Parts: sequence; structure tokens; C-alpha cells
Amino acid sequence: MTKKVLGSDPFSREGEGEEAPASDAGRPSKRPGAKTSKRPGAKTSKRPSAKASAKDEVTHAPKAPKVPAEALEAMDATAEAPAPPESEAAIERAASAPPSAPTKSNRPEEDSAIDEVGAEASVTTARASDAPDNADASADESPSPSATEADGSIEDKIRALESQLDVLLARAGRERPSTDSDEATSEPRSERANDGSVEVRDAARGPIEEEPQDSASDIASGEFYARQWGRVALRDRAEDVDEFGLDEQFLSMAKPVIDLLYTKWWRVETHGIENVPDAGRVILCANHAGAVPYDGLMLAAALRREHPAQRPLRWLADDFVFHFPFMGVALNRLGAVRACQENAERLLRSSTVVGVFPEGVKGVSKSYRERYQLQRFGRGGHIKLALRTRTPIVPVAIVGSEETHPMLPTGPLAKLLNLPIVPVTPTFPWFGALGLVPLPAKWSISFLPPISVDGYDDKSADDELLVGRLNEKVRAAIQDELDVRVRNRRSLFR
Amino acid sequence: MTDTNGARGRAVARTPRARRTVALTGAVGFLGRNLIGLLEDDDRIGRIVALDIEQPTTAGRKTRFYKVDLTQPTVDARMAEILAAEGVDTFLHLAFLASPTYASAWAHELESVGTMHVLNACRERPVHKFILWSQTILYGARPSNPNFLTESHKLEGNRDSRFLVDKIEAEAVVQRFAKQMPQTVVSVLRMAPILGPTVRNYLSRYLGRRLVPTLMGYDPLMQFLHEVDALAALKLATMRDVPGVFNIVGDGVLPLSKVIELAGRTAWPVPAPIARPAASVLWAAQLLEAPSSWVDYLRWLCVADGERARKQLEFRPAFTTREAVLDYAGAQRLRDARLLRA
Repeated sequence: MTKKVLGSDPFSREGEGEEAPASDAGRPSKRPGAKTSKRPGAKTSKRPSAKASAKDEVTHAPKAPKVPAEALEAMDATAEAPAPPESEAAIERAASAPPSAPTKSNRPEEDSAIDEVGAEASVTTARASDAPDNADASADESPSPSATEADGSIEDKIRALESQLDVLLARAGRERPSTDSDEATSEPRSERANDGSVEVRDAARGPIEEEPQDSASDIASGEFYARQWGRVALRDRAEDVDEFGLDEQFLSMAKPVIDLLYTKWWRVETHGIENVPDAGRVILCANHAGAVPYDGLMLAAALRREHPAQRPLRWLADDFVFHFPFMGVALNRLGAVRACQENAERLLRSSTVVGVFPEGVKGVSKSYRERYQLQRFGRGGHIKLALRTRTPIVPVAIVGSEETHPMLPTGPLAKLLNLPIVPVTPTFPWFGALGLVPLPAKWSISFLPPISVDGYDDKSADDELLVGRLNEKVRAAIQDELDVRVRNRRSLFR
Repeated sequence: MTDTNGARGRAVARTPRARRTVALTGAVGFLGRNLIGLLEDDDRIGRIVALDIEQPTTAGRKTRFYKVDLTQPTVDARMAEILAAEGVDTFLHLAFLASPTYASAWAHELESVGTMHVLNACRERPVHKFILWSQTILYGARPSNPNFLTESHKLEGNRDSRFLVDKIEAEAVVQRFAKQMPQTVVSVLRMAPILGPTVRNYLSRYLGRRLVPTLMGYDPLMQFLHEVDALAALKLATMRDVPGVFNIVGDGVLPLSKVIELAGRTAWPVPAPIARPAASVLWAAQLLEAPSSWVDYLRWLCVADGERARKQLEFRPAFTTREAVLDYAGAQRLRDARLLRA
């Protein structure tokens, strides 16, 4: 339940679609279609451009104090041309603004304002670099009282620039918290008022100093958390299922239940777990019984809990398991894989421990009286698999599983319904869901010494006699162990 | 056929011919349209011959459009003339429906018979290379499928579905053509269901529903191919001469429930026994994206193994299944908000 909620929510949020492109930034992606335009990191994305424009200014800066006044005016004339009309208007407004605007109170905003300009003109760096000159131009030419009164002194030019930037800032409609630029206020006022070049230097430094402030304002906004949440949610579910459908999240959710069954309900004890190698592929070949195939789950739990290397087990489940709704999906998410040669070979190629139950449906549908009597071991598909992939076989005898869900003889009914089995037990479906509670018999799992197939060549998989002989060898090993274990136990529950 | 592919697929060779002339059917479809755009930009392509009933919008300087209707009986002779006149060396057959249609008779003419016409034209005036667009859904979703279907697996799509059967027939005649014409390089690209921000097909409409119908108790693993990868694979096959059948798939698999979750939709589980009748009723009422045979794909596995394309075609998908779904979901969200035209 909680998984559902967690899963659906982060993805219904905005700014999620951007996560996917971000993850394949390094890939050679050419998108034909429209992309989502709203970037979550608008601020971060603008920063480089602001820096670039600031750098531009730095390169221009040394010129500023050297050039004579007439040259400056000539430059102004050229600089005016590329400036967009709306900035022109802004300058007008800024210049005509009352002289109270460019006072100390506005100073703190300055750095960020310049940064802002850089950001606004991120497309055309020329405009940003021309900004001071532009301000000069307005101060010289506009009939604003402040400009005429101060005879165009640099101080006033700077103030005009500041007010212009204020206007730009206000127009951008971007709200900045007042705590924004504490560092800027602490800067010595005199240094700033010297000339344009210092101004420019401040601007160049601005974006770098602002780094923590940006994130501070980010943290204050709710959008930040939404974005972070989405990111975390995506990271947690980076791998939903593996290629065979194992869902780690589902497994970790089911683990307490499995462990409860393992330790308390069936009190599973293991023997000879050291016969399972620490690495490399291996086939575990076990007996099979019960209407509900718990034995695969318990075998996997035994390997996970008892084996020193905590080897994960993928067991092959017969097709009929996947015909059942819910159970098929659940077992698949817990590690069961449909039994077929292709799947088994693919699993073994990646050095997995593969569990097989060669009795298959015959094992599941055997009656209570036939318990621990191994049925025919298929046609030896698992032996052929082992021969073809040179994989050792570890026979496994599971005692206890065959009493948990004894099947009633429902063969004719199964035939009528065209199902492999009809899961009718002494308790199910008579007691409803309660009938699904398995008998708490005492389980023991014995891992027998591995049977090696190294001595055979490529052709041996087609050698039916050899396959039959090996098949019988594995079957006999399991049957012997079963007989000993069953004979030696004092009761079903101890 | 497929068994010989393995051996023939080894003969990978880049033809040194200077500038190719590429003909493609289905030029106004999603793949044709976008592929023309890609080929227009490629200097190794001299000319693009677009064959369809409409002019593709992406046609540029290099593209020459011929109005060709594959359902017409004499189309093979006309196409042979065009192939000869333009000196076509690479033929891409993309004229297949991306979504099931009610006009199944017309679809049969277009896909099954149309492919026959196309191949007859290529017999009359042989081409150097023939590329067929096919799909992995033709393998069919079956309980007996292995988790990863290889190219040697039989195409066992539901025989009740004309949509699948026409395509399976088309692929069968192409395989026969490959045997008859050993001088022609025949590449068959079986693509996983294509998903992405711009492609529109039955799948994008299915996942675009507010309530997405699923089968109660079943949650098959799904595999998708991003539209960009689909185009990249077609372009790769156009540029390299690699004969054989290839599964073109995105990496990774996702359970259907997770796909719906990622798409920001709500699953609507339908009990499996009533799903098929309900689907046929809804399909008849034109309320569903696909006919009832599609229920199989919501129940069983149909996932293909892209290993051969990786090795022989050297195709590497840029997007995983998951990324394809996310990319689709991002665009779909904009469509929902009417920020993007559907």
C-alpha cells in the first residue's frame, strides 16, 4: 500500500519529466520532439552564462578608466545601437527616478542586480558587457535632474546604473529575500565608488559569492522539497525489477514474513550448507511438494540466512504457477523464474544459484500417502542443462514441506477444469483464507555433496543414457537422504 | 531462415559506395517521416525516394516524392519503374500500421499484399539492401515464452488478430525473398513497442487514459523502445550491411504496474475471465485502443533479447525502457494540461 502511494506521488509532480533527461545527459540523444521547457534548475542553468558575461566585462574593464571622455562618448554612441528598446525605456525610467533611489538602502541589491542583468542577457553577452556604458549614455544624454546636477560624475553614473538595475530587477518580477546579500553590505563602500572597473569586478565576483544564498532561498521554497522528493524517489526506485522480474523492494517487504515462517513457524534447520560453493554457478536440485510452493521460498531464505556468501537463489517454477493470478506475480517478484531452458541458461551464464524442482507438477499433486516418495524427475532437462553449461548439481532434500499443504485427490476435477492442479487441501478452501495457513511442521533442508559434471564433453547432453544415469544418481541421493531424515525425526513437529 | 541468419550475419561489411539512394514506403508514418529528416542531414545519402500516398512534411532538398498506393494492383510495376529511374540501392519497407484498425480488409491489402508488391518490385529491379520494419509483439504473449525471446523463436502472435497475422505474413514473404535473392542484403528489425514524447500509437493512447485497464492478479514485464532509438536503429541498418533478423529493444524491463505508475496513471484491474469479452465489446464500440487479442499482452510475457543487434548491428539503445516511459510521461503530462498539441 505505502509503496503505491510513494510511487504514484512523486511522479505526478512537476519537474519530474526533467529527471529522465538529466539521467542520460551523457548519452548521444537527439530528440525529435518537443521537450518539457521548464527546467527545475533555472538558477543553476543561468549561472554559467552570468559568469561568462561577467568575464566579458572583466576583459573590457581595464579599458574603462584609460579612455578619454570623448572616446567614451563615441563608444556610447556605438554601444547604444545594439541595446534593445525595452532596456532603453528602463534606463529612461531609472534616470528619471527620484535621486532617493540610488542611496545606501539600495546598495545591497547591487551585486545581485548585476548578476541579474547578466542572467537576463544570457543570450547576448554583448548587452551585459555594454550595460555600464549604456548607463553612462543615459546619464549623459537624458535630461534627468540627477545627471545634470552632478555634471555626469562617475558616482552618479553608478547610481543611475544601480537604479536601472533595480528597475530591471523589479521588472523581472523575481522576489529576493531581504537577507539575500548580507555579504554585499559588508563590502567597503568607498572601494565600490571608485570607478566602473571596481563595479565590474564586483559583478564578476557576484555569482560566486551568491552560491550559498541561492540555495538558502531555494530551501525556503516548497518547490525545492518537491524536487528533492522526486529525486530521492527516483533514486530509490532506480532499479525496479531485474531482468527476470525480481523486485528488491517487494522482497524486502516480504522478508519479515518469510523470516517468520523460516524461524518460528517451520523452525527450519539446515545441514551441509557448505556444499553450496561461495561463487560460481550451481544447480540446486530438490524435492517438491505442497499446493503452495513454499519450498522455493524457504530454500532461498536458507541460502540468504545461513550461507556465508548469502547467495541469492533464483528458482525455476513450473508454468502452472504463472497461470494463477496474484501468486504467479508475487512469486516472480520474489525470485521465481518460469522453468525453461532459455531462462535457466541465461541465469547460469550470470553465475547464479538456480534451484530446480524436477518433480514439477507431479510433485505438487502427489497425495499425502506418497509423501517423500520422489516422482519421476522429468525427462532430465536439468541434467542436460548442467551438462551443457558444465554446472555442478547439489542435491537438496527438504523434509517437512510435504506435510504443510497435503493435497486431496482432485485429479478428475483438475482435468475437468483444464488446470494442472486444483488446490484443495484438508483446510482450503473450506476455511477460507484461514485454510491457507500451512501446517507448522518442522522443516529440515539438507544440502548434499555436489555431483560434478566436469568429466563430460559437449556431446554428452545428447547422450540419453548418460543423462538418465546422472538423473537417477541425483534422484537416489535425494531419496536416500529423505528416507534417513524422515525415519530419524521423532514427530512431525519436532 | 532464422537459423541461417546467424552465419550470414557475420558478413558485416560497410559498403564503400559513395552516396546512397534510399527509397522508403510509409514515408508519412512516424518512422518514415522522422527518418527522412535524419537522412536529409546525412551527407552519405544522395537521394531519398519517398513512396506514400501523401507528401511527407519533412521532405527536403534531397527527397523526391512519388505518390504510390500499395493497395493498388499494378503498384509493383510502377514501383519497379521508380526504383530503376532513381537508381535506388536501399529499400526501407515501413508501410505498416502502428496501431490496430477497424479497416482490417484495407490493412490486409496494405500490409500483407502490399509487402508482396514491394518485394515483386525489388525482384524486378533488384536493390542492394532491403530493410523491413517488424515488431516483437509478433512473437506473441504466451505463457510458454521464455523471459527473453531470441530471434530464432517462432512468430506465434495470436492468430485471431488480423493486425498481427498480416505482419507475420509480411515477414514470412520477406524471409522467402531473402532466400531467393542472395545478392540482396535483407535486414529485419523487430522492434519492441515504441514509446516516446512525440510518437502516437495505440500504446501511447492506452497509457494516456486516466484509468488504465489491467488484468487483476497479472503484472507482466514490459519492454519498450524509445522513438529515438527506433530511428537510430533504422538509420544504422541503412548505413551498414548486416543481413539477418534483429530484435531492437530498450534495456531493462518494467512490470506493467510500474509503467502505469511512472506514467502517473491509475491502474484499473479487470478480472481476467471477463476481460476478453469486455474488450471485444469495447473494441466493437470503438472505446478501446486494441482488439481483445491484446489482453494476452496484459497477461503474459513478450520480451525480446536484443543481444544479436548489440553484437552484429552494434546497436546500443540510448534510452532504457524506464527512460522511454518517463520521457513519454513528461510529454503526456503537457498534453494533459493542453500545453502540447495531441
